[in-house]
Amino acid sequence: MGNEPANELRVSLLVGLPLAAALVAVPTFVSDVFWLGLGITVLMWAALATAWNISGGLAGGLSLGHAAYFGVGAYTATLLFLRFGISPYFGLLAGAVLAGALGAAIGAITLRLRGPFFVLATLAFGIVVHIAAVNWRDLTRGAAGLLLPFGGGARNMLFAGVAPYWYLGLGLLALTLGVTLAIRRSPLGYYLVALREDEDAARALGVKVVRCKVAASAISAALTACAGAFYATYIQYIDPSSTTQFEISVQIALIAIVGGIGTTFGPALGALVVVPLGEILRASLGGGPALMLYGLMLIVIVLAAPNGVIGLLQRLLSMMRSGARRRATTRRSRGHA
Amino acid sequence: MLEVQGVTVDFDGLRAVDAASFRVDEGCIVGLIGPNGAGKTTLFNTVTGMIRPSAGTVRFAGRDLARLDPADRSRLGIARTFQIVKPFGGLSVRDNVLVGALTRGQAVAEARRTAEATLERLTMTHLADALAASLPLALRKRLEVARALATGPRLLLLDEIMGGLNPTEVNETLTLIRALNAEGLTFLIIEHNMHAIMQIAETVLVLNQGRLIAEGEPAAITRDPQVIAVYLGEPLEPA
Amino acid sequence: MQLALQILVNGLLLGGLYALLAVGLTLIFGVLRVVNFAHAEFMMLGMFGVYWVWHLTGLDPYLAVLVVTPLVLLFGIVCDRLIIQRTIGAPEVTVVFATLGLSIFLQNAALTLWTADIRSVTTAYSGMVLTPFGLRVSVPMLISFTVAMLAAAGLWLVLTRTLYGKAIQAVAQNREAAALMGIDVRRIYLWTFSVAVAAAGAMGGLIAPLFTVYPRVGISYIVTVFVIVVLGGLGSVPGAVLAALLIGLIEAAAGFLFGAAWAELSYFLIFLAVLIARPQGFFGRRGAEVFAGR
Repeated sequence: MGNEPANELRVSLLVGLPLAAALVAVPTFVSDVFWLGLGITVLMWAALATAWNISGGLAGGLSLGHAAYFGVGAYTATLLFLRFGISPYFGLLAGAVLAGALGAAIGAITLRLRGPFFVLATLAFGIVVHIAAVNWRDLTRGAAGLLLPFGGGARNMLFAGVAPYWYLGLGLLALTLGVTLAIRRSPLGYYLVALREDEDAARALGVKVVRCKVAASAISAALTACAGAFYATYIQYIDPSSTTQFEISVQIALIAIVGGIGTTFGPALGALVVVPLGEILRASLGGGPALMLYGLMLIVIVLAAPNGVIGLLQRLLSMMRSGARRRATTRRSRGHA
Repeated sequence: MLEVQGVTVDFDGLRAVDAASFRVDEGCIVGLIGPNGAGKTTLFNTVTGMIRPSAGTVRFAGRDLARLDPADRSRLGIARTFQIVKPFGGLSVRDNVLVGALTRGQAVAEARRTAEATLERLTMTHLADALAASLPLALRKRLEVARALATGPRLLLLDEIMGGLNPTEVNETLTLIRALNAEGLTFLIIEHNMHAIMQIAETVLVLNQGRLIAEGEPAAITRDPQVIAVYLGEPLEPA
Repeated sequence: MQLALQILVNGLLLGGLYALLAVGLTLIFGVLRVVNFAHAEFMMLGMFGVYWVWHLTGLDPYLAVLVVTPLVLLFGIVCDRLIIQRTIGAPEVTVVFATLGLSIFLQNAALTLWTADIRSVTTAYSGMVLTPFGLRVSVPMLISFTVAMLAAAGLWLVLTRTLYGKAIQAVAQNREAAALMGIDVRRIYLWTFSVAVAAAGAMGGLIAPLFTVYPRVGISYIVTVFVIVVLGGLGSVPGAVLAALLIGLIEAAAGFLFGAAWAELSYFLIFLAVLIARPQGFFGRRGAEVFAGR
């Protein structure tokens, strides 16, 4: 896992700015709803995986409960709008605050848990929230779900067309990436990686474990909730199986892992690989075989390339570089002879 | 500066440290020796707050440390190295040291300068970009020292940093310790290399089976019959 | 009073079935330090195996268990060779997500092969009920419970009374030391994993006559079994059995008192509380949670 934030910023400005400009222009060229929709889905999962990576990758707490925060974001924005007419722009913020508080609490109580115990605790937490979403019918209407009224208008983040959601999704991804970059360049980023690598050594150097882990968990949860609110206004219908279900948690983690956990851009890259692949497989093979291949892909990736796609790219790049260097030295030695 | 009073540590009914009391005065270099399993590292762990003693108190600069966690104690100025080295393997050598500097409250850019200055002092500048995991053991031990120094400590606890070093490297290390001491840094040093510790320490503490059995100047310790019996085996010529 | 006894009996019978699943999961964790997220999928394979043997040949399901269990064992060996052995000593993300991937793969392989249809195994004694002291006890449930408890006891005897079992315990306590003593650690892993998942397969076969069979049946069990195994202390076999019986009781009682959904919620909250307050479980060794991750 490369950790050169200064260098990373330069690269992200060099590559990122033209790329961002191109991405902003996409809806003017792509008007097909299917492709634009696929693009929006990629953006959302990229944002989710990037948000997961703050606690899962930088801090090393492999969470299988992030669907809970996604659900909190989706339900908070939806319910505030349906019950009180509060615009989902504010609902999104409220959901982020609520999920952030929840994330802080979970971060604090799972502090001492390591390895599989942490994974199981987050899994159980996710399931508790899912059970609540299914059974607290007075609030969530359970499995029947909640429908957002069509034509709520731009003021309420409910657009008739698809293109506005492209921009919102782009903004969401930029936000999560921006926060990740900012964290990695701040003391918190260094502390989190130090804690992940060796907690005892980090503590002996003066790193405050509680503060750092709680902050990482809260930030990750809040950003995940933002994506949840975005999802609710985009699809305009939410139910527990599309928001709080365990599979959602798995998918978030899976995308981050495929892309490369602990890196800034890996998780977003993972969404670019996994989401279209998933759609293609589902369309051509059907749900069962597609998920079969998903499972297989997860196994192969974690066994063969635990640093993900970005790890593979880095390896390829350094191979090319050393190859070029070798060629250069042979040429030079030939020149001497 | 450091006062340890009646510290006792029990592990599952096993007494690892038994009512140990000693003090380390400001500006001193104190050696801590004893056979394997005597409780030396456990004592370090109680001073740095990694474990809580079952009885006794640890005071630093007049302050009772009982309620402070390792991070707090580090920020007060107690730094340590680990006998079983604990590098942040996935980080570069520079970033390993940088973490120590950050906890002093320095901004990242400033901390990077501190880290680089520290590395230079330990003649590790050429390794700054290497991954910590790629270092051989001797250099990992030096990285432990660099990281601890970057926190800007007042008291430095060194846990067997000279094991596995060749005589030249040992001499370099001793020179460094003397230089840092001359700048006002206080040391408590666990060491198995007798010649080295006897050269540098002003006071030596001897721990055996959790008890402090002797305390004194190196010359007196090497002649102490009890110390010879349990640890040295034969009298050591002071170097 | 009668009602309380009935709940007690139902709970213990259910818990006994959980026990066989939990013992395998806890063994895999204790010895290999791997949390097997795919554990309940081996149970699902056992259920489908028994269903198909019964459906195609008309063999009694309990005899079919004897045919299916060795097949699951073989499949466990394959999985160990291809996946589990490669996760030993790998980064944590590999250890956790390899078995999760296996779980997703197996569930959807079953879905693809056998569709999402809900199937059940029926026998002449399916609805038969004994009524000792006015209690209602389902006959197939009683048979399954008895066989499951015998199998769990058998595993326990192998672990504690045989040389091979002692070797397994040595590996569980200290992998490096065991290897230095000349124990073939990889072989121990292989047999621990495949026997443990075969036990899960056997458990699946045993409950095939009791519950419906479908590809995603494992999901409703795996989380319960995690609760049990953590409660009993990850790695502790007697702990797993006791906790299984306890969870069976809680499920039966809470299900009766509050309804199924809230019962489920209540024991997840218990689970979280246990993980946080006593991660070593009620029977586990202190410190297990600390070295578990490494």
